[in-house]
Amino acid sequence: MKELTRSSRLIKLQTPAVTISNLGFAYTESKNTLTDINLQISAGESVGLIGANGAGKTTLFLTICGILTPTYGEIKLFEKLVQPGIFNPDIGLVFQNPDDQLLCPRVRDDIAFGPENMGLSAEEVDKRVCVALSFTGISHLIDRVPHHLSGGEKCMVAIASVLAMLPQIILYDEPSANLDLRARRRLIKFLQTAPETTIISSHDLEMLLEVCDRVILLNQGRIVADGIPQNIMSDRILMEANGLEVPHSLTHHH
Amino acid sequence: MRLIIDRYAYLDSLIHRWQQKYKLVGLISLIFAFSFVQKITLLPVIVVITTVIFCLSNLPLSFLLSRLRYPGWFILAVVILLPFVAGDTIIFQWGWLTLKEEGCWTSILISVRFFCILTISLVLFGTAPFLTSIKAMRSLGLPQVIVDMTLLAYRYLEELGNMLTTMQRAIRLRGFRYQQFSRRNLKILAQLTGSLLVRSYERSNKVYQAMILRGYGYKIPQIDRQQKNRLSQLDKLNFLATSATVIIAISLTIAEILLPAN
Repeated sequence: MKELTRSSRLIKLQTPAVTISNLGFAYTESKNTLTDINLQISAGESVGLIGANGAGKTTLFLTICGILTPTYGEIKLFEKLVQPGIFNPDIGLVFQNPDDQLLCPRVRDDIAFGPENMGLSAEEVDKRVCVALSFTGISHLIDRVPHHLSGGEKCMVAIASVLAMLPQIILYDEPSANLDLRARRRLIKFLQTAPETTIISSHDLEMLLEVCDRVILLNQGRIVADGIPQNIMSDRILMEANGLEVPHSLTHHH
Repeated sequence: MRLIIDRYAYLDSLIHRWQQKYKLVGLISLIFAFSFVQKITLLPVIVVITTVIFCLSNLPLSFLLSRLRYPGWFILAVVILLPFVAGDTIIFQWGWLTLKEEGCWTSILISVRFFCILTISLVLFGTAPFLTSIKAMRSLGLPQVIVDMTLLAYRYLEELGNMLTTMQRAIRLRGFRYQQFSRRNLKILAQLTGSLLVRSYERSNKVYQAMILRGYGYKIPQIDRQQKNRLSQLDKLNFLATSATVIIAISLTIAEILLPAN
């Protein structure tokens, strides 16, 4: 399954999924949260976004999906300019805290929420709900109340609720935060086989090493490094200068 | 496991099968007709209508009684004095205490109408999941702002409760005692309330962002809307049920106008 996914990714890699040109964003006039971001992510790529707290990771995500309006610069998704405030089912965001995302009284309703808003027929909505549930391995939770679930289950429901819209790009904001070891492993396995273009923001560097083809390091709203995860994360000087540590698996024990 | 608010929303009854959009139109028109009733002679009629609708809904009596308890105390507090102060025809006098006929009838009228309206409202919102009711209101043209506010308020009722419990535990564990009435305690309680409001605002804001990202408020393409507008057999039955309820409501209003005064 993974081999298939990777080979289909290679074919897709020729098309740019996300193109960010000279992007800047500021919450207040005094300080930019994002400064001069230039970035291109190909379709099917799995990219990790790392950086210390306050580096601008979540802000970048909210800007990419059109929740925040850039102060300057532009973002294109599959060559189409992102228009802030306009719903675009091609992109989905999985929030850091699933409680921010899950709002309906039943898991089924929550997963159907997006497809229903897209104006799909009842049969198509049901089909998408079933597929998203089975893809994330939580079909047994269909009639449960979302906010009564465990952290790991909530995380998978949040992912399923985005998957049901069949987005081509999915942004994951700290997906492994608050997960126990088993739930984290399940999430890693899921992300490894995900065929969509994914951008994962996380402090869980070990997870990113297992999942991502590429990693981008942000510091104070600027891209500091962009490249192969192992190369960037094993550079102790670079990592420490940007408030991070080399992950344990890349530390050489003598 | 289901939400308390939706506990009986998934039963199978005629009222449950009635589509929420049509049910809203039918039962709300009935509620309006009940609120216009002033003639005592119409009270048995509205009680019978309410009883029939409640029985058709298959909702347990305990559900109704538990929800009528607190409004019951409220209405009791409102009407208890009326028989002694309203009207001129004295039925009974004991010293300065006089029981008046008009006051008694007014009390009965207010109480019966109140309980009938409340029962119909409970049937209306207790026989469908809350989200379905919201969607139905939206499809009937309720302003978007009100729909958004209701949805978010509902979403955070439980969340706010949990947040408050956690914060209360946290301050208790650091030695705070509610029993002591002091300026400092009032200040701390005010801070707790403020913090709760700010947190719930921030959480609601994030939920709203998540909703927008999943197409909330996005206009449904015209083709699908046309498909949805085609009347199915089920729609026709719903339409018939709604028409019957609206006709009952109109008849009650006409009877109220035509019947002689009490």
